[in-house]
Amino acid sequence: MIVPLIKGLQITLKHLFKKPITLMYPEEKPDVAPNFRGLHALKVSHNKAKCVACYLCPTVCPAKCITVEAGEDANHDKYAAKYEIDMLRCIFCGYCVEACPVDALGMTQTFELANYKRSDFVFTKERLLEKK
Amino acid sequence: MVNLTVDDKQIAVERDATIYDAAKAAGIRIPILCHDKKLHPFGGCRMCLVEVEQMKGRLIPACTTPVSEGMIVRTMTDEIIKARKLVLELLLLKHPLDCPVCDAAGDCDLQNLTYEYKVDANNFTDEKFHWEIDYDNPLIERDQNRCIHCGKCARICDEIVSYGAYSFVNRGIEAKIGTPFDGKLDCEYCGSCISVCPVGALIAKPFKFKARWWALNKVKSVCSYCGTGCQLTLGVKDDKVLTTIYDEDQGFHNGQLCGRGRFGYQFVNSDERLTTPLVRKNGTLQPVGWDEALELISTKLQEARKNDPSAVAALATPRLTNEELFLFRKLFKDVVGTDSIDHSAGYAHEALTAGLKESFGITASPSQIVDIQKSDLLLVIKTDAYETHPVIGFEINLGVKRKGVDLRIISDKTGKLAKLPKAVNYLHKPGCELLLVNALAKVIVDENLAAESAAAITGLDAYKGMLAGVDLNQVAAVTGVSLESIRELATAYAKAEKALILLPIGLGYPGHGKELAQALSNLALLAGKIGQEGSGLLVLGEKNNSQGAADLAIHPTAGGRDAAAIIDGCASGAVKILYIAGENPVVAYPDRAKVEKALDNAGFVVVLDLFLTDSAKRADVVLPVKSFAEKCGTFTSVGRHVQRIRKAIKAVGESRSDREVLADIIARLTGEGVAADSATLFKQIGCYSGVNYDALGDAGAIYPVNVSPKFVPVVGSVPATEEGKYALLTGSALYHCGTMSLSGVGPMLVCPEQYIELGRVDAGKLGVNDGDRLKVRSASGELSLAVKVGLRMPEGVVFSPYHFADASINSITSGKSVTWVSLSK
Repeated sequence: MIVPLIKGLQITLKHLFKKPITLMYPEEKPDVAPNFRGLHALKVSHNKAKCVACYLCPTVCPAKCITVEAGEDANHDKYAAKYEIDMLRCIFCGYCVEACPVDALGMTQTFELANYKRSDFVFTKERLLEKK
Repeated sequence: MVNLTVDDKQIAVERDATIYDAAKAAGIRIPILCHDKKLHPFGGCRMCLVEVEQMKGRLIPACTTPVSEGMIVRTMTDEIIKARKLVLELLLLKHPLDCPVCDAAGDCDLQNLTYEYKVDANNFTDEKFHWEIDYDNPLIERDQNRCIHCGKCARICDEIVSYGAYSFVNRGIEAKIGTPFDGKLDCEYCGSCISVCPVGALIAKPFKFKARWWALNKVKSVCSYCGTGCQLTLGVKDDKVLTTIYDEDQGFHNGQLCGRGRFGYQFVNSDERLTTPLVRKNGTLQPVGWDEALELISTKLQEARKNDPSAVAALATPRLTNEELFLFRKLFKDVVGTDSIDHSAGYAHEALTAGLKESFGITASPSQIVDIQKSDLLLVIKTDAYETHPVIGFEINLGVKRKGVDLRIISDKTGKLAKLPKAVNYLHKPGCELLLVNALAKVIVDENLAAESAAAITGLDAYKGMLAGVDLNQVAAVTGVSLESIRELATAYAKAEKALILLPIGLGYPGHGKELAQALSNLALLAGKIGQEGSGLLVLGEKNNSQGAADLAIHPTAGGRDAAAIIDGCASGAVKILYIAGENPVVAYPDRAKVEKALDNAGFVVVLDLFLTDSAKRADVVLPVKSFAEKCGTFTSVGRHVQRIRKAIKAVGESRSDREVLADIIARLTGEGVAADSATLFKQIGCYSGVNYDALGDAGAIYPVNVSPKFVPVVGSVPATEEGKYALLTGSALYHCGTMSLSGVGPMLVCPEQYIELGRVDAGKLGVNDGDRLKVRSASGELSLAVKVGLRMPEGVVFSPYHFADASINSITSGKSVTWVSLSK
């Protein structure tokens, strides 16, 4: 009977001197994996968003959190005049990234998305544009 | 019938069927890119290749190969799949593959087949096309780089629309679809080419980048412009009508639409729509609640109902549904007790409600639209029939080109119809239709060509007596149509086994009233053309429910005021309350100054409309009503066709349907509620008792009529002419219908303002060119109008459409069929 007790305490003692698994968040930040599905980012190329407003991401989105409105620019090209993601609805499944035919959308390692107002969770195109 | 086997299925089909048709009948799908059921087989894309046991060794195109007895067809073997994959690879070789930005994606035949046949790699490499994209056209954007050379656009424009805007130019790999001399595309803007384009080479500019095809909710309805009654599918997203969608299985017209049907839907979600009721307070229209507005109207009507019902008058637009017109009649005739109700300025429905009512005992045409292609000879009154009813025009085109229908036109101008192969246009002086029709009858009598059946019809003797007084030489001299031509036309008409007369009516045809309809009825009866398939008389009502308004008797029937008398009554003070449901008399009725004065003078004017029209601006109460896309109900179109419209979007703003408004007013006046749902109301409509509302479905139903014919002699008179002046004719422009199309963006992009059209000779004499301005002066006023020079107008005759609110042509016309004007720079 005493043996299992000692065995158990052994484990406890071992962990007492090990490096802790928990982080002292927010002072300490975790290492986020490169393929982590955090906040979305609209990729930029030639100083403009790569997105061509094909509407595949809102089509595939299971949470229906993406709103796209296409516009026509001076060269008659299609671009996203409006691109919004409602983070309160987003389930971070990454289907939008998968569906994108022009690799215009990615997901970053940003996971700290808490905010004070509901309206702040709606990420407009400006907020989503990739920060370089 | 021919028996054959397709994929082990035994099928019997007509002798003229192709393998494709046979497979389709058996429910076997053969992929196609260049074939369309409305067009002649082309055999250009080679997607429909199949294997025929009797023709082993090569693959056979299913769309061009006629069936033969005992044929054994296989539509899907490894070899066929390989061949189809190769076809797709070759098409994709030059295709830009810009699906993410192409509006056709989702509804693209090439994309769908590529997916179906799993073409994910290409054995070939080549450079893509670098054709310049046509962005300048207001309605049709052409990107030749996406074109797969199926030729459907060129073929539909030639075969059905008969315009011929496109053709293949260049050869081999350089080939492309081009316009004449590779110039800019300037056509009728019907958009048929867009509807059949299997890829995104032709796209509708107003819908460009608006939404994806798969995100649209498709709602089947009926077009709310002209009386043809074309079915259409609305593409709806987020409670907005964004486009019209082509469905080749819809209606007699197989989904074919005209420019305003296809591109004129934007009025539904226009920013200009009225959203709240308005009541005039201290001289201006102020937004109020529905209850206040309705209470005000009910109080006024209640007062008049007790004291002087005859001081109440009402005008309705024939764009309302049958159910709304039923309630309209109920409110004013039964509840208020006035007979002063009317629609379409009174003259525009006379042909049906007075003319045919007397001649045939019915207020509808005895014939139907399908008779057009079944006929041997078509006698069309005015080439404008094409302008007012373009899709019926397509039927005429098809009849002439495919069925060899002999097309004869009596018209005061030339036009599209007159240019069809073998069409004969009997060009006459303006205002002489009646003389000419009576002259035709006279020839038939003189040459003993009258049908035996005519003898049994009452009034023949009186009619013959009247015809005896017709002097053919005088008619020839007055009308400008030679005696030989009159004889030839009369003989051809009488001798044709099946002959159909088409008479368009409406606000744009001031001369097409009771007399002309009766003269034509007489002619048809005399020649024995009534009562058989492919023969008869088809009166083409102008608006989507003109036929319904005639059936429901939205006109005075017991000595009340007609539209003209209502306007006069308002001016004189006899009419104190005027209820206008959707009409815009200021712009559309004759003599603008008189109508404006009348509306200003009337004690209390209520206008229900989608927009703050020129008439609504003069009202005391304006109520916002729903468009056809926001309500349910039925329309009755040309040829007695009752069809259902369906609600596609939620009401815009606080708008209510006329049905709800009328039911509410009736309830307030009588203290009893009335049923306001369309099914219940439709069942109460007496004249449609032969139609089962629940069984209407998508196809609709044609209600039966019994013709009790009678000859009603009508004498033509020689129209007055004025020396040195031009004969101004008013009518419809091809791109517009009534005044509603002014709020449809598409029509306004191609025909934005009031114009005056004249022939080249007159333009030369006056020294004006396209786009110059001319002062047009009549006895009642003067307008400065843009000049349009064309080939349509004969010398001394000019034309101007009636739709436009600014510089409206009714400022200088007064409802006569011809207005004499002087023109100066």
